[in-house]
Amino acid sequence: MSPILFWLFTALMLAFGVSVILNRDPVASALSLVASFLCLASLFVGLDAFFIGVIQILVYAGAVMVLFLFIIMLLDLKAEKRRSFNEFALVGGAAVSALFVAGLLKVLSVFPAGAQPFPALGVAKLDDVRLVGITLFTRFNLPFQTVGVLVLVASIGVIVLSRRQLK
Amino acid sequence: MFAPITLEILVLALGFILLLAESFSNSTSKRSLAKIAIFCLGWVFALSFFVESAPSNPEPGSFWNFYSADPVSMVFKRIALLTTMAVLVMALEYEAVLAKNIPSSRTGAGTGEFFILPLFTCTGLMLLASAVDLVMAFAALELVTISFYVMVAYMRGSHASLEAGVKYLILGALSTGFFVYGITWIFGLTGETHFAKIAVKLAALQDSDTAILFALVLVLVGLGFKVAAVPFQSWVPDVYQGAPTPVTAFLSVGSKAAGFLLLLRVLEPFLGVAALSNKILLVLTVLAGATLIFGNLAALPQNNLKRLLAYSSVGHAGYLLMAIACIGVAPSALGSVGSTVGFYLFAYLLMTLLSFLILTIATQHTKGEEIHHFNGLSRRSPFLAFGLLVAMSSLAGVPLTAGFYGKFLVFAQAVNAHQWTLLALATVTVGAGFYFYLRVVAAMYWAEPTDTSPIHVSGLSKLVIALLVTGIFVFGVNPKPVLAALQSSPAPLAATAH
Repeated sequence: MSPILFWLFTALMLAFGVSVILNRDPVASALSLVASFLCLASLFVGLDAFFIGVIQILVYAGAVMVLFLFIIMLLDLKAEKRRSFNEFALVGGAAVSALFVAGLLKVLSVFPAGAQPFPALGVAKLDDVRLVGITLFTRFNLPFQTVGVLVLVASIGVIVLSRRQLK
Repeated sequence: MFAPITLEILVLALGFILLLAESFSNSTSKRSLAKIAIFCLGWVFALSFFVESAPSNPEPGSFWNFYSADPVSMVFKRIALLTTMAVLVMALEYEAVLAKNIPSSRTGAGTGEFFILPLFTCTGLMLLASAVDLVMAFAALELVTISFYVMVAYMRGSHASLEAGVKYLILGALSTGFFVYGITWIFGLTGETHFAKIAVKLAALQDSDTAILFALVLVLVGLGFKVAAVPFQSWVPDVYQGAPTPVTAFLSVGSKAAGFLLLLRVLEPFLGVAALSNKILLVLTVLAGATLIFGNLAALPQNNLKRLLAYSSVGHAGYLLMAIACIGVAPSALGSVGSTVGFYLFAYLLMTLLSFLILTIATQHTKGEEIHHFNGLSRRSPFLAFGLLVAMSSLAGVPLTAGFYGKFLVFAQAVNAHQWTLLALATVTVGAGFYFYLRVVAAMYWAEPTDTSPIHVSGLSKLVIALLVTGIFVFGVNPKPVLAALQSSPAPLAATAH
């Protein structure tokens, strides 16, 4: 991936991420989130991880965000817009993030392996969907089944918490 | 004899069957779901004593690469099963409150899943107890956490429960973020996710100390949220107070046991890096000290019993972290750090479940959770008052109780590791603990009740309370059986890096 593209997409992704938080209008926030996801997907594609890139767009930018927008349409947008920032949380959050970034930069500056390029892949073209599937179903069978139970619990939870009037 | 994973499969199958029974049968009463679940879990608990041990060198593709069945994980599986049974007994007592707080046209509708979800949490806890791979541990931990998100917010009619659910969801997601980021750093450094393989690779890494420490700190932040260590405890009081009481008990015991087991397993490979062990111990000591001070001192002014127990849970995390901060020293005559943590968690399970069970029963009659609502409880129900007396004494650490022996082991570890600062702090906080735990006892026995009507306790709850009280005394006087079960394993907890 060309470094220019990498920096471009990273900067865009972060800018849209900040805009998700700073925007008081929920629709603008949600659309910024979509844009941020798209930039992230481009980063994945740039790293030759096509499968994850496509899934990122299909699942997050597509399905999840459309649902989000639907729900936002049902909210009282005026009440949301009137909400102001909590200054204490703002300063605290900024301080924690600044400390975290400072720590990360310090670690990266003394971490020699971080500066080395990745070894090139042996094969020019990988069948990544098939490889991901085979790895999940054979090597990671037990965690994969556990995630299956997790999804079941999550869907029970959604039904339990969103039923309107129980009979 | 059968494969250890049969236990998890049985609990999971029980969950599926009960879910289907709840959906498709009109006649099943919700209460009978919980009773069936308790009965079957009892059988699974009994079966857990008859499992085969793990093969010594598993095939490359088999699930033994993610899963271990050493004695320590079996002890933690039994802890998970016992906790789930006690939580279901509590849930039965809590049904009336639950039904009131779920908007429905018919009372009792929508309470079924409340009795079934703990089974899935239990499966997650059992898988986590056996996880020897970061991927597996993460999947199991998320199964536990996601089922907790649902259960904490289960009472949709109650603002406190919903608020607790949202708080727990947001902070839980944040901590998961840190944990996963830590895992990616570990994987990036070593290329492995299996704990034993990570240990080998980490010990061989050259000049990446800062990066290794960074990875560990990220994982510690994530797990710090789960075990409620200071400064990651801010969610505890509100979530514990707002959640349905049985869920609070489950969070306080199950989630904590899981977090500490995982903490021990994750720490082990890192302690093998000789250049870092001092720094790691310093981080753990600071965490332990802060948690001890905050948890115990913030509990002093509390007047709400549920909130008091929340702070007490933070305080006990402090004692457990104090034991963990002694890791890496040669084991004392009283056993390794791993077995001390295991015994402390077992004692904590007995006394915490006992207090929450009595809290669940009593608050429905006292109409409140404030300490003054418990005034004169000894005259309304001598049985409940005695149970709570035993629970509070054990939490405070009165001799002859399991809680005392747990604290004794922790202090012995601190002496062995020359952790004098922590030892001095802990002496002060134990003193503070005596004040706030025994204040509840004083209210029950010396204050005048406003209402003198007797409190009826159901047979099942009486039995469970009696068993827990007996357990606290028996294991306080003779802790051998639990310690023997924990120590009989060579790896991974009993023998920590030295």
